[in-house]
Amino acid sequence: MLLQIKDLFKWVNSGGNRIFLLNDIELTVNEGDFISIMGPSGSGKTTLLNVIGMLDDFNEGEYSFLHEPVHKLKEKHRANLYKEYIGFVFQSYHLIDELTVYENIETPLLYKNYKSSERKSLVADMLDRFNIVGKKDLFPTQLSGGQQQIVGIARALISNPKLILADEPTGNLNSKQGEEIMNLFKQLNDEGVTIIQVTHSEKNATYGSRIINLLDGRIINTV
Amino acid sequence: MIRNYFKIAWRNLKKNKVYSFINIFGLSVGMTACFLIFSYVNFELSYDNFHLKKDRIFRVVADIKTPTETINGKGPSWAVPPHITEFPEVAAAVRVLSDIILFKKDNLTFNETESLWADADFFTVFDYKLLKGNPLTVLKEPFSIVLSETSAKKYFGDNDPIGQTILITDDAFPSTVTGIMEDIPVNSQIQGDVVISMTTITKKFAEGVNDQWGNYGPFAYLLLKPDTNAKHLESKFPAFLEKWSGKEMNKSQMFPTLLLEPLKDVYLKSDRGGFVTGNIKNVYVFSIVAMLILLIACMNFINLTTARSSERAKEVGIRKVVGAAKSQLARQFIGESVLICLIAFLLTLVVTSLLLPSFNQLAGKTISQGIFEIPLYILLLFLAATGIGLLAGIYPALILSSFKPTTVLKGRFTTGAKGNFLRKGLVISQFTISIALIIGTIVVYSQMSYMNNRDLGFKKDQILVLDTNSDKNRDVLKQATSSLSNIKNASLSSSVPGTGNLIAYSEIENIKGDLQVANLDLYFVDFDYISLFNIQLAAGRPFSREFKTDTTQAMVLNEAAVKMFGYSSPEQAIGKRFKQWGHEGKIIGVIKDFHFQSLKKPIKPLSMRINPDRGDYLSINISTSNLASTMAAVENQWEKIIPNKPFSYYFLDEFFGRQYKSEEQFGKLFLNFALLAIFLSCLGLLGLASYTTIQRTKEIGIRKIMGASVSSILNLLSRDFLKLVAISFFVATPVSWFFMQEWLMDFAYRTTVSWWVFLAAGVMAMLIALITVGFQAIKVAISNPVDALRTE
Repeated sequence: MLLQIKDLFKWVNSGGNRIFLLNDIELTVNEGDFISIMGPSGSGKTTLLNVIGMLDDFNEGEYSFLHEPVHKLKEKHRANLYKEYIGFVFQSYHLIDELTVYENIETPLLYKNYKSSERKSLVADMLDRFNIVGKKDLFPTQLSGGQQQIVGIARALISNPKLILADEPTGNLNSKQGEEIMNLFKQLNDEGVTIIQVTHSEKNATYGSRIINLLDGRIINTV
Repeated sequence: MIRNYFKIAWRNLKKNKVYSFINIFGLSVGMTACFLIFSYVNFELSYDNFHLKKDRIFRVVADIKTPTETINGKGPSWAVPPHITEFPEVAAAVRVLSDIILFKKDNLTFNETESLWADADFFTVFDYKLLKGNPLTVLKEPFSIVLSETSAKKYFGDNDPIGQTILITDDAFPSTVTGIMEDIPVNSQIQGDVVISMTTITKKFAEGVNDQWGNYGPFAYLLLKPDTNAKHLESKFPAFLEKWSGKEMNKSQMFPTLLLEPLKDVYLKSDRGGFVTGNIKNVYVFSIVAMLILLIACMNFINLTTARSSERAKEVGIRKVVGAAKSQLARQFIGESVLICLIAFLLTLVVTSLLLPSFNQLAGKTISQGIFEIPLYILLLFLAATGIGLLAGIYPALILSSFKPTTVLKGRFTTGAKGNFLRKGLVISQFTISIALIIGTIVVYSQMSYMNNRDLGFKKDQILVLDTNSDKNRDVLKQATSSLSNIKNASLSSSVPGTGNLIAYSEIENIKGDLQVANLDLYFVDFDYISLFNIQLAAGRPFSREFKTDTTQAMVLNEAAVKMFGYSSPEQAIGKRFKQWGHEGKIIGVIKDFHFQSLKKPIKPLSMRINPDRGDYLSINISTSNLASTMAAVENQWEKIIPNKPFSYYFLDEFFGRQYKSEEQFGKLFLNFALLAIFLSCLGLLGLASYTTIQRTKEIGIRKIMGASVSSILNLLSRDFLKLVAISFFVATPVSWFFMQEWLMDFAYRTTVSWWVFLAAGVMAMLIALITVGFQAIKVAISNPVDALRTE
């Protein structure tokens, strides 16, 4: 078991009313899962993903990640936990525009104090693996959306995470590029990486082993 | 890691050229100003530091109590040094007197305007380096001369001057060159090109002057033995004076109290004059101004960086998500600001070396030949630049590194109200400083114009003054020049306004009929003086050739003097008795007060008498038509009558104005720095305005679609900034009013600071700010709203 969420609530107060963003969430994720979270706009998909990624707090409930009780951890510990085990992929890629492809992929290693030689070989592996060696000195704006997303995934994978959280990874891409990305995820999952993705597309959702449908912050069914 | 930071910082700089330019340029302008002022201040503080025994050298001065006032002056400086060595604490005593002496060598004749007479120990007490000659003996014998390197070259070229003869003074006494000294450094309070042995005066020209306790002339310096308590020594001086000059003091009614001024304080802090004098107030004022300008530049930096934070927010978010800790991010942003400061530092070095010559000119002396002259300064500036980078970077770094990734990565992100408040505060501070400096500049300049335009009570235009230096043929010169065409009249006198004057022990009959003792300022004049200078009479009559007795028994007083002796009207003083310097007689006339000293000083009581033997200055009233030919004719006469002296002249109005040279310089420097401050503030405002308008692009687009006009948008965007400037105005006004009142206190006659000065400064700042902001605002206001909305 990778992570487990029990009785989780998240809310905001607006004009005296309590509005639930996440309402009584129960979720267990095992290593090797490929989960798709679906639901209409505002149903809480991204919020749930952020909570799982420990980028966002929640108000009530329990969340344990690799048997660590996340809700009891201090901010710093929590940050260390997600830095160690989680990689993020975004809809709008979120590459640093001022850095080259190579440097973008390298960035997470810098914050983990890898040695220069280790960084070089790890980044080289990644470039090789995704066939982007020839683009390593280009800047993000010089790449197509699909290529940018590949760089984004390479960056998420470089520190060898147990879990990849992807927030609509194909949302800004055309269907062909989207398919490439989804095949890539499938391949990664086959290699043993756990993936949770948020998606609007029924087709993309089918790549996963499980689909969770959200509405108004509630899990309405799991397929 | 560092390389990565550096890389991203550099790419960021290149990407936002305008922003980078404003930041780097603003900072380097601030640092340049600061560096130049620092050099100036440091130079002023460096005066006399090169004397190795500076801590043991003191200048002897005196507060002299007279029946009417206490004069802060030099004291009996002829007699004190030869006698004061009776104290075991005193290692040596040196008198130094500046003079203008005629030098003649073969066919070379120069009026050495920077001549010094000095006692034998001059070169052992002070560290003026002798290149040739023995410091112990060069000034021992009468008629010994030590030349500076420059003047040695002037007279002897490449020949060895030692042992050669130069003829000095009008009477051409043969004197021997005994030594060559390095040119006296600029940062020495004693300045001179040639030094002549004091024994020439004490043994040949004026024997007995060593015992004249009533004679005040040279500056006297003491070298104390190590570990001497100066205050303790000072306390022994009253008994010493009583012993040697008790009789003299009673006779002249002048009671000096001897004081010791540490050499280090003389240049900047003493108000008793000197060869060259500085002003500690200027040092303070400019240090503060430098700090303020640097502060403005740093504020720009902080303002722009935090205002731009929304643009960096995404990067922060990503870095946090991929694993950056807050401290790592903070380090990155601080590193960026240090990088910007270091680039500014390099630019500063370039700009400073380019500006140094004009700054030297502005300061009126060569403060520094080149910036690389003192490597320590460069190192200090480098450290300062790094420090500024750290300090100015901390706040933006903290703001940026504390962004939450979930908020900033959503894409819709605006900077919070917190940063806004700080930015407003900084803009207010900047404009407060700028407005205060503008007000200061206006006040300094209006005081200058007040002094230049005030009616001084005498005619100062079209008067040519020749300094005959007591030449024996001056009467002949007067006759010759006054008979020239285009010259109305001429007059010989001991002083003209602005030159300084004699002070005489006098007894004048007061309102009660007693002879009242007073120290009166004294002008020796001739019969033409009062009419030439157009000095108005208040009562009685001026000196006249028709009265035989006027030459010896007549005195004219000014109104201030008449008041001092208790008369309520000038008429009452006419016919009263006077005794002065061995002459007695009657007051024949009272002249209206005129400013014979600078407007910094109140008009003092003044007496005038006829004395043909004391006419140093020949004043000539010339008409301005054909000025060149008249000047040529006068010079022609001079060369015929006083051929052995170079023609030395000036125009009275210019000469009188020269007394305000330091104020003029102060004003110029002040103006420059005020302009700089407002320029930097506007630079910051420009950057800030451009970012807020970018942030409000969408709002403006919507407003335009709703039908807002260009002017209403202009109003919307400028209003907030103008409000800040208005607040600054209300903060700056009382502060600058207070400081400028203080500054004006130095002037006995001063302009009033009227309300329009403040208003003008406020309106000026407002207009400049409006133009700066309006430029940005109009650009946005006339753009197509559809474009603005499409980008969202």
